[in-house]
Order: sequence, then structure tokens, then C-alpha cells
Amino acid sequence: MITVHLEPEGKTLSFDTLNTVLQLLHKIGKRQSQALVIRNGELLTQDRTLRHGDEIVVRGVTSRG
Amino acid sequence: MKCRVCKQTAAVALPSHHTAFCPECFSAYFARQVERAVHNHGLFEPEEKILVAVSGGKDSMALIHQLAAQGYNVTALHLDLGIPNSSGPARAIVTAFCAERGFPLRVVDPEEMGLAIPEVKAAVKRPICSVCGKIKRHYMNKITYEEGYDVLATGHNLDDEVARLFANTLRWDRDFLGTQGPLMPAQGKFARKVKPLCRLSEFETAAYCFMQGLHHGTAACPYSHGASFTGHKKLWEDLEERSPGSKTAFYERFLTQGKTAFAPHAHQDRGPLQDCRVCGAPSNLETCGVCRIREQLLAVKETTAARSGTKRPPETSPEAAIS
Repeated sequence: MITVHLEPEGKTLSFDTLNTVLQLLHKIGKRQSQALVIRNGELLTQDRTLRHGDEIVVRGVTSRG
Repeated sequence: MKCRVCKQTAAVALPSHHTAFCPECFSAYFARQVERAVHNHGLFEPEEKILVAVSGGKDSMALIHQLAAQGYNVTALHLDLGIPNSSGPARAIVTAFCAERGFPLRVVDPEEMGLAIPEVKAAVKRPICSVCGKIKRHYMNKITYEEGYDVLATGHNLDDEVARLFANTLRWDRDFLGTQGPLMPAQGKFARKVKPLCRLSEFETAAYCFMQGLHHGTAACPYSHGASFTGHKKLWEDLEERSPGSKTAFYERFLTQGKTAFAPHAHQDRGPLQDCRVCGAPSNLETCGVCRIREQLLAVKETTAARSGTKRPPETSPEAAIS
């Protein structure tokens, strides 16, 4: 299970299988340039592999006023 | 993916530059982009006093942090707009940040000058983002000009500039197209205004804040729903995804090739400037836009007070309130 926290929406999602950050971004409908993907305080590029038990934060970067 | 410079694991991929960086090399890249903007566009000199508009969002926090890291003389300016559940947290973030980093902070509260944004929103029929922007620009210019700063720096990034250029182009607004860019030179009582982050996307400023540990606000302004620039940014994200580098090309080539065609029309559509009869700010009309908003707000308050039979307390004059 991979747990994904969406900011600033405040939602939490769970995925049974996800191989890469790119797959995750596709699943949640975000582009690489629209969000920081963070694991254990580290920024991940879209080719990085995700593992069972990962806690991921996806932080949107688009200013909204 | 490896860092292009040191071959360590990359933290940030930048398709528009066909590259990727580790945290350390990304910070150096970020600094270089700011240096290039300052140098290429002649934004300011090392000895000048820079007033940095700091809202508490990622861009302005990244900007003042980076300018201070490069040794510039910076002072933060924060406008507390008095918007419920938004302005209070933003002011707290900026105050804590400036105290922690040792940056001088100047706070302006438009409410003290009879311009509480929630009341303005209720009183005017125009989109509040436009009116709020006018009020913010008015006071940012006023403080910069009257308090002896050489230049006002804002955290507008490449995405902001592209969205604005796109909007101006859709309207073929030759006046704005003739003046848009990272440098707005001083003119009369208009202070010089600069955008040192114009070469960096908002993804890059967000990554910079994260890597530098800069805590910033992420909540949207509760009044910004439906703002046109947000829609334009989404269109450009689609284009950039299909064709990386489009945003930079659109903006940079406008500056080098397109802007000159519109430069003769800059300011021509606005008429000659004069001093506002109320506050003395530069204006195309006898009364500047902000003082007209204040008068409109006062009229609404007086009408409301008359209907309810209450007497409205006298307003503080804007010049007295700001000092």
C-alpha cells in the first residue's frame, strides 16, 4: 500500500500498486510541473520508483491568487 | 535521473532546459537565473535599497531569501488586506519569517486607510481581483517612492508573466504590451519596479522554497475563484507539456523581438499624468483610482448609515493613517 497526501487539498489517497512517480501523477491527474512529490523530506523526479509502505506528499505549486 | 552537474540523484527535472539537478546544484541554478535577470535587464545595482513585496506565498519568500543571499539590501513590505481566514495567517508567516531571517519588515494595512478589502468587495461592481490589485500597486508604489527605496521588487515568476502576456496579446492591448517586462523604469512619482524571478517557473520557486526550508502560505485567496490568469496558466501548462520551453520562448522572444513594436504606444492610451487631488499619487484623472474607490466605499457606508439611522464615525485621512 502506498499512501498519498495531497496538498493543499488535504486529501489522502491509497494505492495498492504504483511503480513510479510518473504513474502516480497520471493517477491523480497532475503534470510534473504542477506539483512537488516528496518522500521522507526528499523531492522525487518522475522516474523514481515507489515502494510498498511509502508515504508520499504531492504538493501543488500553482498560485491561486 | 541524474544531476547534470554532479551526477548525484536528481531532485528536480526541468524538461524546458533538458536537464535535472540535485538540491545543491539546483540552488546554484536558481541563483544564476536571478543573477541573469538582474544583469540582462539592468534591474538594480548592488548598492541600491530594494523594497520586496512579500505576501507570504512561495514566490515572494523565495525572492527576498535569494536577494538577501546574493548580498542585496532588502526590506520586506507586506500588505495586510484584512481578508478573513486569509490575511491573518499570511501576515503571521511573513512576520515570523522576517524575524527569523533578520529582514526589516514594513507592514501596511489598507483597512486603516478606509480600504478594507471585504468592504471594498461588497461596495464595488468590478471584479475584486482587479480592484485589490490596484490598491496593492498604489500602496507598494507609495511606500517605495515616499520612503526612499530605489526599487520595488515583486515575486512575479515566468508563469505569471506568460499568463499576463497571453492576456495582453488576446486583447492586443498595445499600451500594456509596450510596457510589460521585468523592468518598469521610474517615471515621475512612479517608482522603478522589477521582477527578478521572471526566468523561473512557479515549480522552480516552490522547489527552491522546499529545499531551503522556507515555510510559506499555500491557501488560495478566498476571493480569487474564477480569476482569468488561473485559466490561462492551465492552457500554458498543456502547451508546455507538449512542447517544453514554450513559455520561455514566448516570453523571452517577446522581450527581444516583439516588445519594440509596441513600445511607441506605451502610456499613450492613458493620457497625461497629474497629481491626485486627494492623495497626490500620479493619476490620469483628477482623482486617482484608489481614492475613487475610497469615495465609493464612503458613499455606500453613508447610504447604509442613513437607512439604519446611525451616524458613521469620521474616516481617518489616508495620508495620516499611513505614517
